[in-house]
Amino acid sequence: MIRVRATFEKSERAKYISHLDLNRCMLRTFRRSRLPIWYTEGFNPHPYYSFALALSLGFESSCEILDFNLTEDIPFDEIKDRLNEVMPEGMRIVKVAEQNKKITSIAKAEYSFSLVSEKTEELFKAVQALIAQEEILIEKKTKKGVKTVDIKPDMEILSCRKVNEAIEITIYLPAGTQTNYNPSLFVEALKKTTDIRFDVEKIRRIAILCADNSVFE
Amino acid sequence: MLKDIIEKHLLEVQKPSRYIGGEVGSIIKDKSKIDVRFAFCFPDSYDIGMSHLGMKILYSLTNERENYWCERCFAPGEDFEAVMRANNIPLYALESLDPIKDFDFIGFTMQYELSYTNVLNMLDLAGIPIFAADRTSELTQIVVAGGPCVCNPEPLADFFDIFILGEGEEVNLELMDLYWEMKKQGASREDFLRKACRIEGVYVPKFYNFTYMNDGKIGHIEALNDAPEIIHKRIIKDLDKVFYPSNFVVPFTEIVQDRVSVEVLRGCIRGCRFCQAGFIYRPFREKHTDTICKEAKSLCENTGYDEISLASLSTSDHSEIDPMLTKLLDYTVSERINLSLPSLRVDNFSESLLEKIKKVRKSGLTFAAEGGTQRLRDVINKNVSEEEIMNTCRIAFEGGYSSVKLYFMMGLPTETDEDIIGIAELANRIIDLFYSIENRPKGKGVQISISCATFVPKPFTPFQFEPQATREMIEHKQALLLESVKTKKIKVSYHDPNVSQLEVILAKGDRRLCKVIYSAWKKGCKFDSWEEHFHFDRWLEAFEECGIDISFYANRRFDYDEILPWDHLDYYVTKEFLIRENKTAHCSKTTPNCRLRCSGCGVNKKVGRECF
Repeated sequence: MIRVRATFEKSERAKYISHLDLNRCMLRTFRRSRLPIWYTEGFNPHPYYSFALALSLGFESSCEILDFNLTEDIPFDEIKDRLNEVMPEGMRIVKVAEQNKKITSIAKAEYSFSLVSEKTEELFKAVQALIAQEEILIEKKTKKGVKTVDIKPDMEILSCRKVNEAIEITIYLPAGTQTNYNPSLFVEALKKTTDIRFDVEKIRRIAILCADNSVFE
Repeated sequence: MLKDIIEKHLLEVQKPSRYIGGEVGSIIKDKSKIDVRFAFCFPDSYDIGMSHLGMKILYSLTNERENYWCERCFAPGEDFEAVMRANNIPLYALESLDPIKDFDFIGFTMQYELSYTNVLNMLDLAGIPIFAADRTSELTQIVVAGGPCVCNPEPLADFFDIFILGEGEEVNLELMDLYWEMKKQGASREDFLRKACRIEGVYVPKFYNFTYMNDGKIGHIEALNDAPEIIHKRIIKDLDKVFYPSNFVVPFTEIVQDRVSVEVLRGCIRGCRFCQAGFIYRPFREKHTDTICKEAKSLCENTGYDEISLASLSTSDHSEIDPMLTKLLDYTVSERINLSLPSLRVDNFSESLLEKIKKVRKSGLTFAAEGGTQRLRDVINKNVSEEEIMNTCRIAFEGGYSSVKLYFMMGLPTETDEDIIGIAELANRIIDLFYSIENRPKGKGVQISISCATFVPKPFTPFQFEPQATREMIEHKQALLLESVKTKKIKVSYHDPNVSQLEVILAKGDRRLCKVIYSAWKKGCKFDSWEEHFHFDRWLEAFEECGIDISFYANRRFDYDEILPWDHLDYYVTKEFLIRENKTAHCSKTTPNCRLRCSGCGVNKKVGRECF
């Protein structure tokens, strides 16, 4: 049995595949590829595969992680090609390799997104003001109810630029088994500080990282 | 581009992957090389429409032709419809995301009466005139319908240019070929329709004139413009040779029938007198085991599904059922595929068959007993004896099952209170049987679920002449059944009798109902088969405003010699046979299944060969 870690892209129309649907979709992709995927043993055997992180509906990604096991030793490139041959449109395996790091070492993810508005200038100021705040409070739904959380200490703005009529932002947000934030929290916080109407476009997860900013692989 | 506008709003709605296409197996072609475009529309949501086998077959079949392109289209959910209307997004097909109003054919499959208003809503969303008479005189935008409901398409006659009767595998292509030929010649819509109605199975409703008598019954059905007096349905003679898809479109979101579906046979030998499918799909034709296995295998490999269901009206009537299941199970077990078997009849549910099913999965058992007493089961020709039901339940209980679901109908012809009480008594005897079995499943109580539908008489069945029980009668029967059930081991559920009433009116209605459907849709009726969307009060208003007496259609016995709205359509079963069967029913006498003895329904004469 070999343990495999695939990195895949999810973009274009594939961004409308929900996480739950992605599970089913991958199962069928494996079956179409006829790769000898390893099944769990026990009363109800099922093919074993798991996604490192869930991706919100509507988000694109260039770095989704999928772990699975094969019962035969097959070259990584062949695994990649066989999967890509039968992947749905918008999904593409970019890399197949060994599982180097433990899932628990995932600490953060890098996202990019753009804000589009008819009043870009004013919105840009509002964004900068928000970033400059000492704390950014948002209401987060948890199992126990709604909780007010300060996301400022956990987020890191990498860039925030005005490009043509849009504001392009890249940001680190915590990800993994402990805390998971996604860019919609930032957008929510922004909406609370400004009345300017804007759309959020092209939300994309660019990288999944460990605590030391090294790429998770 | 339409795609950009759609995408701008897609995240505002539930299950957006239903509205954007791009599924594995969907067929994309180069528009510039296409001669005829066909929008295959299912007048219900994606989740339901994508489960429909007929669409899968005709989609793949049409797309085999290089210069034809068949695409899929479904009724949007309420949330997405609001988005479409607010942003002027016309109804579009999922492959090209092009508006269907620009297509050559807009084809609907009519599977159940309660989807009729959705057709009007979809045409409206598409920007296509709802009434056929208002459409362009040019040769484009031909709105057609097929499916079981078009065996009486009259309530839809004003909305469609063409109805296609029977099985579509051949006739659809013939119709498209004619269209392409005439399009090249610059023919008009009228020219095309006049030629199209000469193709067997093609019914152009506007070439037929209905006159009514003072008592409201039909006086005369007249064919105009040399259109054929009688329109014959189409059938495929050899199921082993007919096209069957080797791939399905695999949806991202979960659909109702989310699996590979292999058709094992068409038609039915049983002749249950209430069952429309049992008559309109005759003759009985089987696929060979090898064909079935080959098709199952290629579909599993191409789609990646890990579940197969065998589709037919009665799978266990296949003459090779045992070897077929054995061969299929060899494949499915080795490939870790689930094999599920719907439509199993009580009477030929053998121990060895159950063993095979058990190998696959252990879910509930469902039996359609239909009637509570033997007398009533004889009336409806459900040739199942209590002994057989008990025997099957015994095998099931000994095999580890502890719950049984039983389907019944209420309001069947000749039904009395005794028959209703008989339902509860039958369930009680099944409970007693369970506790009398020594090796019954331990630690579990037995659970019997009784599900009661209201009987809906349908065209082309021996019960087509029958009135439906009134709501008062049904309510009495329901109360009586509840009184008769005295244990919590029996659970009872019903269908809404209002739904069944609307169903019978639309099923047995004539052209005078077109305006009612239009008016109901105008009042906001759509998705009538969905409980949360069903507004019977609006329908009642529509009937009232159009001056239509519901009981004329629902609760009146149609005379044997009356001209019925579907009398000019030939589904191969003769009216004489249906009358004979109706009379036999009223004598509580059964008719043996077709394999035992031919009962002379007339199908063999039309097909030109014996069925067995």
